[in-house]
Formats: sequence, structure tokens, C-alpha cells
Amino acid sequence: MAAVSMNGSARAPASDIALEVRGLSHVYEAGDRAVPALQDIDMSVRAGRFIVIVGPSGCGKTSLLMMMAGLRAHSAGTLLCQGRPIPTPDPTRVGVVFQEASLFPWLTTLDNIEFPLSLRGVPAEERRRRAEAMLSLVGLKGFGARYPHELSGGMKQRVSIARGLVQDPPVLLMDEPFAALDEQTRMTMGHELLRIWSTTSKTVVFITHSLTEAVYLADEVYVMSPRPGRIIDHIEITLPRPRTYEMMATDVFGRLRERIWQQIRHAQ
Amino acid sequence: MQRGLQTLIRLALLALVLGLWEVLPRIGAVNPMLLPPLSDVATTLWGLLGRANVREAIAVTTLEVITAFAIAVPLGAAAGILLAENEYLGAIFKPMLFYVFSIPKSIFLPLFILAFGIGFGQKVGYAAFTTTFVVMMSATAAVESVRGDYILVARSFGATPAQIIWRIYVPCMMPVLLETLRISMIFNFTGVMIAEMYASRTGIGHLISNWGENFQLPQLFAGIIILSAVAIAFNETVRRLEARVGAWRQ
Repeated sequence: MAAVSMNGSARAPASDIALEVRGLSHVYEAGDRAVPALQDIDMSVRAGRFIVIVGPSGCGKTSLLMMMAGLRAHSAGTLLCQGRPIPTPDPTRVGVVFQEASLFPWLTTLDNIEFPLSLRGVPAEERRRRAEAMLSLVGLKGFGARYPHELSGGMKQRVSIARGLVQDPPVLLMDEPFAALDEQTRMTMGHELLRIWSTTSKTVVFITHSLTEAVYLADEVYVMSPRPGRIIDHIEITLPRPRTYEMMATDVFGRLRERIWQQIRHAQ
Repeated sequence: MQRGLQTLIRLALLALVLGLWEVLPRIGAVNPMLLPPLSDVATTLWGLLGRANVREAIAVTTLEVITAFAIAVPLGAAAGILLAENEYLGAIFKPMLFYVFSIPKSIFLPLFILAFGIGFGQKVGYAAFTTTFVVMMSATAAVESVRGDYILVARSFGATPAQIIWRIYVPCMMPVLLETLRISMIFNFTGVMIAEMYASRTGIGHLISNWGENFQLPQLFAGIIILSAVAIAFNETVRRLEARVGAWRQ
């Protein structure tokens, strides 16, 4: 696991390491109490990898993701994205896909996808062209004029992914994007995501509660402990790509899933 | 097809009510002194619209309604948005606002007469006072209808504070704000009418109140028709706009 052996003095070129987290800790104030939320997080994510973070509810994994997106500050340690700190959101470096229903209900599907571009004053024609391209990438060609309430849960998350990718950021952060979907849709969406990922070669950091989803999607899985969140395991998923549904029935898949489960269970 | 049928039924009901209004007083089923036949009222209405004092009263009332509205809406909206956005001010003033909101505002009318005398100031002041509270309450609700996730999403795409206001708050709040406008106009109109009927020398409300006291029922009904027409016209205009702007709300 070359990715884990990086240290400060031998930093890899930014083109190779997409995200680097060193000794990151976070303490937040609740009333007059200081609550440690994250403790000594170390992660080194090579460009183009699919990283999944799993952990119990409230372990701070969403906070960590928000920090990677520049949406939240951390108390101590270093967080570098493409070799530079990310104190405020930078959509050209990082795209975010949120949990369910984060599309703007007053905008059509295309306008939702164009939203990040329109904030930066990209000309209308180019916006439309790029949004249309994203729409067909996520398999929703022809749905551009629909409003979010006219789409199914899975379709909404496809639009969310398209919106996250429209600025072509090298890193895509995903916060439990399929948690609200039913099991079948969730499996299909996981598969779709892998297809999109393989055609765009993005670095993905994906948060989930589902161990099956974690093993199915990931190159590497980071397991976090309950609060204060620490990395308690880092597992390389050696299953070949492209992943298939049949792999879920194999021993390797079962053993990997079991190892994550044991880590989470014993950390409680 | 379904809608056409509904419209047809509505028109039929309207025709029935108007027909009964004409026929019942004529055949003596209803005392024509209390409910003059529709045709008499219509003739009176036509005559009234030609009279200078009635035209002047309409002009006065319209000016009062518009002035009160122009004071109350920005004032109430600014105060409501401030209370909803500023946690500190909200914590202090929101409970008080609810207390004051529950008090019937008409009991303050004598105070306005004492402060402004009988006239334009008293009527506009009172109507603006009652309307401001309604706008404030609704504006608070409008701000609270903007979900935190939307703002987080916009920020993640690098939206500036100004962009968050124009691209998130405004479109998200617009349907509620239009609804506010519509409902506050109802209160505003009521405020002006109450003030005019209670103590005034001009305005439609004053005329209606006089006609009632002098038992001039055709004039009274004509006045009611004029006012209803104006009120319904405003309400429907804003409601159309509301439906168009709020189409995304399922």
C-alpha cells in the first residue's frame, strides 16, 4: 500500500496525489464543552482512485468530507487537495454530490446542472452544451426540461452527479448519495457510478453506511471509529475491475465485507 | 372537459344567485327595503359612478390603500426577514410578535384618531399598522422555507453571499412572498375600510357607512359591489402570478 507510506518530507507531485490528509483533528464547541469530533486522520488518496469511507453514524465522516470540500474548517493538521489547502469551496478542484433531494426544486434538470457554471458567468451556449453532455453521461438524455419533483429518486441522484461533474473537477466527493434509495435502485446506481467513474477517471471519495456498497465500489476502504472519529482500518479491495454483481457472491467479497464489519463492531 | 364542466356549474350558480336576487324582492318573498332587486342596484351603481363625490371617494380610498400598502410591505418584509435571519433579534422579538399578533388591531383605532385626527393620516396609519404584522409573520415564514441544504449546495459550488441571496433565497421565497402580498392586501383593504367606517369624512367606506345609516340600501349594495370587484381583481392578479412563479412547488 504505497499510498499509506507517504510522509511530509517526500510529498508526491500534486498530479499523483489528489487528496492528502495529515494529522487532521477537529474539536467543536457545544455550549461550553469542547467535543473532539475527528482525531489524527491520515489519508493519502492517489489520483483516479475510488475511495470509500465507512463508519458508524456520528463518527464525523460527513464532517471530514465537508472539510475536503472547503465547506468546513478543521482545528489542526493539514488537508491538501491537488497539493494546495482548500480553505473555501473551489468547484474547479472539487465537486460535491450530496444526500437526497439537494436539487433546487425551482430549476429544471438542465438548469440545475448548469447552476455551478452560471455562478461563474459561463456563457449560456457553453453552459447548455456542457450540461447536455453531462445529462447523456448519466443516462438522462431527454429529461432536461423536467423539474426535480417529476423525477424518481435514482434519477435525481443521477442529476446530482451530473451537477457535481459539470465543472470537470478532478475530485468528486459523495456524501451517502444513494442512502435514500431502495435496495435495487441503489445497486443499479452503484454500477452506473462505476461506469461514469471509469469514463471520466475522477478521484472519488464516497461515504456510505452500506458495507456491500463499500466493497463493491471501492479501490480502498477507510474504516472510521465512533466519535471521536479515527481511521481504524485501511483496506485495499483487490477485486478485479470491472466489478460485476456476481462478485458479491464470492468468498473474497464476503471476507472483505466481514473484515470491515468486525472492525466497526469491535470499535463500538 | 372536467374543468369546463366546473366552470359551467359555477356560472350556473352565479346566474341562479343573481336571478334570485332579482326575483325574490320583486315577488315580495324578501322585503325589497332590505334587499332591493338587482336591476335597481345596477341602475343605482351606474348613477353613482357618474357622481363626482363618489368618484372622489373612490380616488381617496384607492390612494389610502396604496399608500398604506407601500408603507407596510417593505417595512414588514424587512422586519420579518431580519427577525428570521438574525438569531439574536429573533430570540428577543419573535415571541413578542406572536403576542401582539394575537391582539385584534381594531382596538387601537381610537389611538390613531387621537394621534392623527380624522383624515388621511389616521386611515393610512391604522391600515399600515395592521398590515405590517401580517407581512412580518409571512416574511418570517418565507425565510424559514429556504432549506439549509440549498445554501450548502450553492456554497459548495463557490456561490458568493450575493449569489446565495439572488439565486437561492429569492426564487425559493418568491411564491410565499407573493402569497404574503395577496393576503396582506386583504388585511390592508380591511384596515382602510374599518378606519373609514369608524370615523371619516371621505372614502368609499365612509359612504357605505352613511348609506347604511340612512337606509339607502340600493346605494349600500352598489358600494359593496364596487369594493368587491376591486378586491377580487387584485387578489386574482396576484394569485395568477403566484401560480406561475410557484409551479415547481409540486
